[in-house]
Amino acid sequence: MRKVKYIYWAGALIMTLITTNSAVAQEAAKQNSPASIELLKAKSLWFNTNNAAGLTLDKMHDYSDLNFQYKIKSGDFKKSHDGEKESTLGVSTEGGLKLSGGYVWGKFSYNNETLRNTLYNTTMINPERGMPFYTVDKNMSDWKRQNYKLEMKVASKPLWDKYIVGIQGEYVTSTGAKQVDPRSVGYFYTITVKPGIAAMFGKHSVGVNMVYQNLVEETRTTNSNGQLSQDVYVVKGLGNFYSAVVGGLQSLGQFVYSGNKIGGDIQYSYGISDINFILSGNYHLRVEDVISSPTKPKKEGTIKEEMMSANLTVTKSCDNFHRLDLSYSVNNSSGIEYVQVLDNTYEVQRWVDVYSSVRSTYNQIDMVAKYDFFRGAAHEYKWKAGLFANYRDNDDLYILPKSKMRVENLFFGINAKTNIPLKLANRLILGADFIYKNNINGYYIYKGADATSPVITQFMTPDMQYSRQDYYKIGGEVSYFTNISRSNKSGMFVKVAADYYKPVEGEGNRMQTTIGLGFTF
Amino acid sequence: MKNIYKILIVAVLALFTAASCQQFEDVSKIGEIESLSVVVKANLDLGSAPAPNGFNVKLINYAERYEVNTTMGANGTVTVEGIIPGIYTITLSSEKAQDGFTYNYSGNVVNVDVVTNNKQITVNVGASKSGALVLKEVYYCGSKTPTGGSYFRDQFYEIYNNSETVQNVRGLCIAILNPLTATANLPVWPGDDASKFVYASTIWQVPTDVDYPLNPGESIIIAQMADDHKKSNLNPNSPVNLLSAEFETFINTTSLIQNNPAINMVMAFWPSPTPQWLTTVFGGAFVIYYPSVAINPANFISPVGSTSKNYKIPIDEVVDALELVGNANQVQLKRMPAVLDAGAATVGGTYLSVSVGRKVKETKTDGRVILYDTNNSSEDFEVLNPPVIRRYGAKAPSWNTWK
Repeated sequence: MRKVKYIYWAGALIMTLITTNSAVAQEAAKQNSPASIELLKAKSLWFNTNNAAGLTLDKMHDYSDLNFQYKIKSGDFKKSHDGEKESTLGVSTEGGLKLSGGYVWGKFSYNNETLRNTLYNTTMINPERGMPFYTVDKNMSDWKRQNYKLEMKVASKPLWDKYIVGIQGEYVTSTGAKQVDPRSVGYFYTITVKPGIAAMFGKHSVGVNMVYQNLVEETRTTNSNGQLSQDVYVVKGLGNFYSAVVGGLQSLGQFVYSGNKIGGDIQYSYGISDINFILSGNYHLRVEDVISSPTKPKKEGTIKEEMMSANLTVTKSCDNFHRLDLSYSVNNSSGIEYVQVLDNTYEVQRWVDVYSSVRSTYNQIDMVAKYDFFRGAAHEYKWKAGLFANYRDNDDLYILPKSKMRVENLFFGINAKTNIPLKLANRLILGADFIYKNNINGYYIYKGADATSPVITQFMTPDMQYSRQDYYKIGGEVSYFTNISRSNKSGMFVKVAADYYKPVEGEGNRMQTTIGLGFTF
Repeated sequence: MKNIYKILIVAVLALFTAASCQQFEDVSKIGEIESLSVVVKANLDLGSAPAPNGFNVKLINYAERYEVNTTMGANGTVTVEGIIPGIYTITLSSEKAQDGFTYNYSGNVVNVDVVTNNKQITVNVGASKSGALVLKEVYYCGSKTPTGGSYFRDQFYEIYNNSETVQNVRGLCIAILNPLTATANLPVWPGDDASKFVYASTIWQVPTDVDYPLNPGESIIIAQMADDHKKSNLNPNSPVNLLSAEFETFINTTSLIQNNPAINMVMAFWPSPTPQWLTTVFGGAFVIYYPSVAINPANFISPVGSTSKNYKIPIDEVVDALELVGNANQVQLKRMPAVLDAGAATVGGTYLSVSVGRKVKETKTDGRVILYDTNNSSEDFEVLNPPVIRRYGAKAPSWNTWK
């Protein structure tokens, strides 16, 4: 609870600093609007890398915004652990500021979520975060979650006219609780630090940064009705599991996840005339252990994840602005399991490893090509259009007994927005997008101990059917922006957006509606 | 200024390295799993019993719910391939009929790790004639009341004469062993001969005042409370009426407990009695035995590091044994020595109104049944719904005049 208070006050402080600083320091700048901030970020090559030092090279102007949004999702085209209905109340604020020749940027966000009628997730605040070892049960339940995220990037001014040092930090903390027996309460946090350096050699710039992340998640299970124990399944990849009970003398213990990630990125950018590009690559390694009953720790498993990616971004800025992004990433994870025996010596009483091995592997290849065109490359765009293609191949294997899952998808997307000027410098943004997912390949072959268990028939198989379905998404948004200050520095906008998901074959759909109110400074 | 930057960079690097180094080192050399072979050997200690023709061999990895079955020839060795590395219970069993007797051969090793290829595991195999008195059906998990409450006074234990000769249950004891529920934290018992005993938390004894003969095919019911549990003031949802039980573990009357027609058992050992003999609804480990010397509660024993009072029972005196656990996954948490019970039975939950009972091996021409008794409850028992006393035509003894 104390942590939450600290985060609240830190967030409030950042919001205050960002809004007041930008209002004071922005010298004769044009008014920021959602369209101008979107274009600013599109033009910034280093902003989306892990190297904060490059922010100074991006020459971004001051900006800040404050957003409130309420999001509702509903519909049965979803995975088991998603809610039949989900609502999210969120607030976020973000801002960047030129400071003494360098640049600082910060963001704070808070979301409060309610998920109705979820299935097969007893303990995980985010069951899709790449952790195969967790607990599921058959009881339909609501989930309540809230998360806080603090991000900051700081870049120095050029030192000796050549070097820029920077640091990027991120602190995320989440809490969540399942609302029906077997119920759970969980806490999750990550802290990420990315120190970096960039060097300029004429039109050439190179950068290098390190990444370190520490992660902890703790989950406890309990029953409100102490008279009735609840069966649960501790899954460990591709539908394999062991049975356990919540309640009674042999109740499932607390699970503690603790992980570290290290890695590094390199960047190279070059600018010639009105064309700029940045080439970056990275390698990150994460190891996360899962133990149960921390007072007598028993290893439930370990995940070892290797991530490699290469990205190329090219921009051309003249009267109009073009941006091309190409990326290729590989993610190889190994699920490690242990054979342990209890050393029952009276004074010792601890679990001892006698064997460990990689039991499962999870490999993902992701390739993205994305192009955006902005009509008008000054402060705001007049209209924009974009298209993308994304190939993603997930190839998962449980080695012994052998089970296999493969999902190969191709996504195509096209989007457009128009920024219509109105009287008194007001603007209306109309946007639409269309995404089509084509499943190239998808199968799940389970050869484990119990093919008739609910974990297979009611959880894994329906989720696989969802993953292999072709679907299309139609989205649209309307945003109205107006000036709210005499100095033309502050603006306010309201936004309504809707996304509709529909499988090409079969029943079901999913609708997401977002209502937002925001301010720019 | 340059030095300060250098120191900062080195300090940050050192911090990162120290924080993550051990965790990364631990997983750096872990390779992919490979299946193993294991060599199982039988070491026979058969006494006067004839040698069996071979064995059924079962390897169970309870954590993985993985089971391999094979057979072993008369040479007493078999190599089993395709084993997933893990912790196994390996059971050898056989049966042979000779000279009018049925001999059971069984032996097992429990919680043995198979993590290296071609590991040799020796299983000591003993022989016994099928037991005369067996625990036939045990209803331990309790039932739910109409309002959703938990009811546990309707527990019963049925003991059956599975032999061809008359047995006398006079002085027969039923004991629940320590620990009461399945757990990985087994107590450590003092003494070099600790493994020759089992350790009871509570012992009840059939009175020794008169004989209580039991003919083949007859059974006795030991009830926690020998009442009609379907009565409105007890639990109308209870599956059993135990008014005809032969014995009950009566202590004293309360608003719910009365002294029923059943004969009161003798509380032979119970250091801290409560108003009723409630055994754990998660599944206890039970033995029935005839003590060779009178039970003296003052001769208690405590496990190392504990002050709990328990009573030593020589394994040689045990007539039958039954290990019960909370769910199938807990079979690996065995408390009972394998020589008494190589497996475990379970109803898989609590307050389910179901029982465990022995399977029928054969039915004689007169309708009398012979029940399985291989000293392996995983094999011999099944879940029965609802619990029924004197199932399969078992008869009450003639001295039960209130049946």
